[in-house]
Amino acid sequence: MPNNVSASQIPFWWLAIGVGFAVVLVVALLLSFLIILVKIIDQGVVDVRNTLLRITTNTEHTNLIPKTADGVEAVLAEGLQHHLFLGRVFEKVKA
Amino acid sequence: MITLLVVLSVIAIVALVAVLAAYLFWVGALLARIAGNLEEANDAVATIAGHGALIGPGVEHINRSGGSVAGALPLLYGLAEQILGKVSPVPERSKVATPASGQRRSRMHESVGYGPTFATQAFNEHQPRH
Repeated sequence: MPNNVSASQIPFWWLAIGVGFAVVLVVALLLSFLIILVKIIDQGVVDVRNTLLRITTNTEHTNLIPKTADGVEAVLAEGLQHHLFLGRVFEKVKA
Repeated sequence: MITLLVVLSVIAIVALVAVLAAYLFWVGALLARIAGNLEEANDAVATIAGHGALIGPGVEHINRSGGSVAGALPLLYGLAEQILGKVSPVPERSKVATPASGQRRSRMHESVGYGPTFATQAFNEHQPRH
């Protein structure tokens, strides 16, 4: 134990201890605010994640678009065949 | 007195360290959970981007083919109308053949209980046959 502390230093020690406990309280208060903010951010991130997962289920059928494009291409090819057929028929009818 | 001051000083320091450690551990756990959720969100965004990449070329393909179909259909029905102008769909036919003995009276009336009077029968019998 330090025995060479003068009587005039004792009040400053008390003051330092009081400031120390005050600092502990302030740190706890600020960290509590930090925890609250992080929890709010966490809730927002969870909402964003859930929304994105729902969007994923909505957009998972876009792979049908190329198939639809192929179908329209087939319709076009069939229409061209009809055009050729009607052209041949028209030539025979005209003759 | 000095001992009390020393003990209180140690308690203050330990309390500061304990509060900092506890809150930082708590914040660390929350941030780890947020990191996991953000990673899932990142995967979902990548999936959505992959799905969305199919939309543009597919729709362009559909528009190109659909435009060609829409442009070709007037040619088709123009050709069909020209063919119909050359060929009549309803050919002219001769009259429907009728029997030389004329049309017979139906016997269905008696079968359903209808009996015409004698005068009516005589009138019908004297009708000229076609």
